Amino acid sequence: MTIELYDANTVKEAVDLLKKHADRSAKVVAGGSDLVGGIMKDFVQGKGMPRPEVLIDLTTIKDLVGIKVAADNITIGAATTVSDVVDSKDILAKFPILQQSAASVASPLIRNFGTVGGNINQRPRCWFLRGEDFNCYKKGGDFCFAVTGDNRYHAIIGGELCYIVHPSDMATALLALNATAKISGAQGDRTVPFDQYFTGPREDVLRENQLKAGEIMTHVVVPNAAPGTKMGWTKLKDRQVYDFALISVAVAFTVENGTWKDGRVTLGGVAPVPYRALVVENALKGKDIKATIKAAAAQIRTVARPMSLNAFKVDLAQGLIERTILEALGS
Amino acid sequence: MARIEAVRVAQEPAYAASLSDADWSALGQDPDWQMLVAEQSEMLSSVIAVHGHKLPGSRASDVTAPNAIPVAAKVVGTAVARMQGLGTVTSQGQFTEHLGMAGMLFMRTLRSRYPHAKIKSVDTSKAEKLPGVRKILHRGNLPKEYANVFIGAAQPTRFLFNEEVFEVGSPIAAIAADNEHIADQAMRLIDVQYEVLPASLDMLEAMKSTTPKQFETKEAGTIIATTPPLVRGDPSNTRADATVDMVTRRATEQHAPLEPTASLSYWDGDKLNMTYNSSYSHSVRNGLAQALGIPQNKVRVFQPGYIGSNYGYRGGIDVSEVHAALLGKLTGKPIKNLYTRYEDLVTRTHRPEFRNEVKLGVNKDGSIVFGKFKVIANVGAQRAGAANGAWFGLYNLYKIPNLLLEAVDVMTNSYKSGPYRCVSHPNGTFALEMAMEKASYAIGMDPVEFRLKNLNEVGNPDTKKPFSNPGIRDCITAVRDAINWKATWHAPKAKQVRPGVFHGVAVAAHACSHGGGGNTVSGQVIINGDGTVQLVSASNEVGSGQRTEMMMIAAEALGVPLNQVTITPYVDTDLMTDTGVTAGSQQTNTGGRAMYEAAIDARQQILSWGVKKLIDDASKKGQKLALTVADLDLQDGLVFEKRAPATKIKLAEIIGFKLTSIIGKAEYIQDPKWERTGWAAHAAEVEVDTVTGTVKIINYIAAHDLGKAINPFMVEQQIEGGVVMAVGAVFSEEMLIDKTTGVPLNPNLLDYKLPSIKDAPRAKVIIIEKPKEYGVFGAHGIGEPPMALAAPVIASAVYNAVGVWMTEMPLTRDKLLAALKTAG
Repeated sequence: MTIELYDANTVKEAVDLLKKHADRSAKVVAGGSDLVGGIMKDFVQGKGMPRPEVLIDLTTIKDLVGIKVAADNITIGAATTVSDVVDSKDILAKFPILQQSAASVASPLIRNFGTVGGNINQRPRCWFLRGEDFNCYKKGGDFCFAVTGDNRYHAIIGGELCYIVHPSDMATALLALNATAKISGAQGDRTVPFDQYFTGPREDVLRENQLKAGEIMTHVVVPNAAPGTKMGWTKLKDRQVYDFALISVAVAFTVENGTWKDGRVTLGGVAPVPYRALVVENALKGKDIKATIKAAAAQIRTVARPMSLNAFKVDLAQGLIERTILEALGS
Repeated sequence: MARIEAVRVAQEPAYAASLSDADWSALGQDPDWQMLVAEQSEMLSSVIAVHGHKLPGSRASDVTAPNAIPVAAKVVGTAVARMQGLGTVTSQGQFTEHLGMAGMLFMRTLRSRYPHAKIKSVDTSKAEKLPGVRKILHRGNLPKEYANVFIGAAQPTRFLFNEEVFEVGSPIAAIAADNEHIADQAMRLIDVQYEVLPASLDMLEAMKSTTPKQFETKEAGTIIATTPPLVRGDPSNTRADATVDMVTRRATEQHAPLEPTASLSYWDGDKLNMTYNSSYSHSVRNGLAQALGIPQNKVRVFQPGYIGSNYGYRGGIDVSEVHAALLGKLTGKPIKNLYTRYEDLVTRTHRPEFRNEVKLGVNKDGSIVFGKFKVIANVGAQRAGAANGAWFGLYNLYKIPNLLLEAVDVMTNSYKSGPYRCVSHPNGTFALEMAMEKASYAIGMDPVEFRLKNLNEVGNPDTKKPFSNPGIRDCITAVRDAINWKATWHAPKAKQVRPGVFHGVAVAAHACSHGGGGNTVSGQVIINGDGTVQLVSASNEVGSGQRTEMMMIAAEALGVPLNQVTITPYVDTDLMTDTGVTAGSQQTNTGGRAMYEAAIDARQQILSWGVKKLIDDASKKGQKLALTVADLDLQDGLVFEKRAPATKIKLAEIIGFKLTSIIGKAEYIQDPKWERTGWAAHAAEVEVDTVTGTVKIINYIAAHDLGKAINPFMVEQQIEGGVVMAVGAVFSEEMLIDKTTGVPLNPNLLDYKLPSIKDAPRAKVIIIEKPKEYGVFGAHGIGEPPMALAAPVIASAVYNAVGVWMTEMPLTRDKLLAALKTAG
């Protein structure tokens, strides 16, 4: 059960190594807090989730580490630590919700090791998936234990076959900020907007994003927000340190005389992907926010399909959408 | 002589009646019995009533209790940092988890994945071929002499390897390998064939007569024991103006200490040496000797004194420690057995799931008419008792003229029960105080006034044993005043502080049996040639600081400065005598009491040698001196004549004169005449967010009567820590299983949610000192009582805030939001 670990020096080298060791389920690793400290340590594996025998370290690739500020966007390398995002004055100034979402991740120790790419691409936190004794769909099995089991933390929207919730806080904020992922692979480079980056179980139950075999997320590009954009971030968790979102809400919108011009409302902890609450956005568009917010937030109920034990999450989502938008709006 | 099963003695009258006098003598030394004495004395009360005279402990110590606090106390009552503090926070202290030895092998245990099954076969052939695997022990190759060895009490019986397993995590094979990764891999190469049997996972289902039996019993289903009820007055035929009828529940909790269970052991010829992070090294020694069939002096158990805490579940061995000893014997190598977090959370013990069915009848004038409490405990996959421990507060705290107490312990194929900073007092207090709170609102009486009106401050109403100087009224009035009750208390739902956020406040009270003492103990005080003082005690440090406290007690009793006294952090059974378990909040009044008496003995010897030396000194000058011990005093480490205090003799001079060290020693058996009781009241203010279901504690006050705070600094830490632990169980801690498979759902520290430092309320501590006649310097222990009040005080404050009764712990936001919805 030995593991080979390669330090890649360039993205190309990493991509080549991934291809070369594809038959040994090679994976890229950065902070390793989930892949090594979670998935591998806990033997989370199965036919559809083979245990990697080769790991390729991305933190040794200089181009993947750092925050670059351009006139119209900020580019963040995938191997930049979450702490570096938390500490970035540029990110705080331009995208406070990205800074807040990063600061809400796990604990200082994990943020010091964990990276932006790792946070966005980590595997979900379902206790059936993580339990060695449950061979669920994601591991290549043919059952979702959450359907009949304890599903208090599971999806209330968009579950099908598998009812995980996407675990990334930063992805929720980045989706609200209309970010784009840069991807490299043997077939070349491509960019995918966050709107399309994440994959639900209906599309492919074995993964959570668009990365194909042999591809690496290299950077995240966050475009400048329109001047005067209001932003808000809420992460509700049962424990203030080292806990995933029960519900998180990220909002970014522009306002004119109290009226919602344009913007995004995204939710974490509710769906297998970071969820864009279009029903709420549409209900607010062109409306006076204070007058409409209650009805708009309630729109989340029209898309929610809670399971046996998690109907309370629908109430939480509704309440927190309302609260986050009003707080961002200011009085 | 067959091994006596202490839990059966407590639970099966016929079994207890079958024991010989020799058995009863041996029982006094049995580790499981000692644990029950320290931690679950309620379980023993009925058997002791019948057979107590046969126990060696019926002989009480004849030394008068040292309850008087010296007027000029120099050490007792001062704030002293723990002797292990620096080593603990810097990790320079040697924790068992970190220890290693040349050539040691690492152990891993393959465990059952089913809650109830027969192990049909274990095929280790693939695993044995893996390079680095040294030995795999399982039922098929266990040496015959260990086939009938078991832990605890029968039935269901926990053998070294069961053919029929009753729980997920029951050991199937133990592997010793060159490193833990090889052991991990080998574990996954072992092929086990199971015959899966129907499991009993729900406590109430398990009590039904239709539930299949899993062991021989006359009880319904898988009930372990039904305690004979306690009946006071006529609870069934009494009427009251108002009757509170409620069911309260608590979920399974686990200690989750920082350092998982760990041992490092090796054989030196025919002697086993084991370093083990236990709270009772002598119990570990005796348990290993018993299991291995070797004499007690052929086992040495060492506990380094640096331990990632205990909280109650480390009083003895589990089967895994026997496996480690056997693997060491079979391989001839040291064995490191470090539990994984999964193993520590799942396979060790838990505070069990409880259910209380409660009726409390009260009259409009605020008097309690009757109480009926049926306590049901899910003790998990073993023979254990937990339910009737909840009775102590129920029969002692308030005057309840007509009372019915029932208790049922139920076995399920689930988490095993055991002490966790107490076992069941927090459950009893939750049931009692929720009922009291609801009753006070039902009759429209101020909840604090209602409690004060009904306090029992005399003694146990049934046994007539008296309390000693009970401080419960002081505790309640102290928190009432500190929280400014008159200004903060209001009608339910009457104070909205922000949109959707409501303020609430409550007070709760608590009485429990912990802190008084229990076990038979010993202690030694050695005066060295240079006048330094060395203490010897096998009282295991578990983080509570009692070894520091022992130095303080000895220094005070002797009359020497604290910096002249040392005690080892570690305990070594080869060098020290049994001092009982560090449990039941008892070590202040057990190990500490023995240390006090040993110090008094040493002091007497010092003074008597002082007399001889002074007479000798005088005779050398040709003078004749008439002097007795009563003429001398010892203060600040110096002996002097009371009539000529200017001339001092150092302790070194006395030892120099005597030529050998002075050894003061004591044994202590406590007298049974007192209803030794820990008293407390807590008050809390909360803000309840009706949108998120978040309950924020904005003010928390904890008052405890502990007779005398020997070290107020450590007392405050014990209380603050207890409140934080309890708050974890109030909001987020709950050991879950998948109801279909019986498999644990959250056996890791990410999903079993201990509170983080950001979630921890800062409790304001009020120390009430009403000296106890039985206590060392009047002290009463403090380890467990702080755990019991957070649940009722927070749930009651939530009622005051938003008007819903939250009677099920943990008080999670899903339950709270659902209750608010139902209430409208």
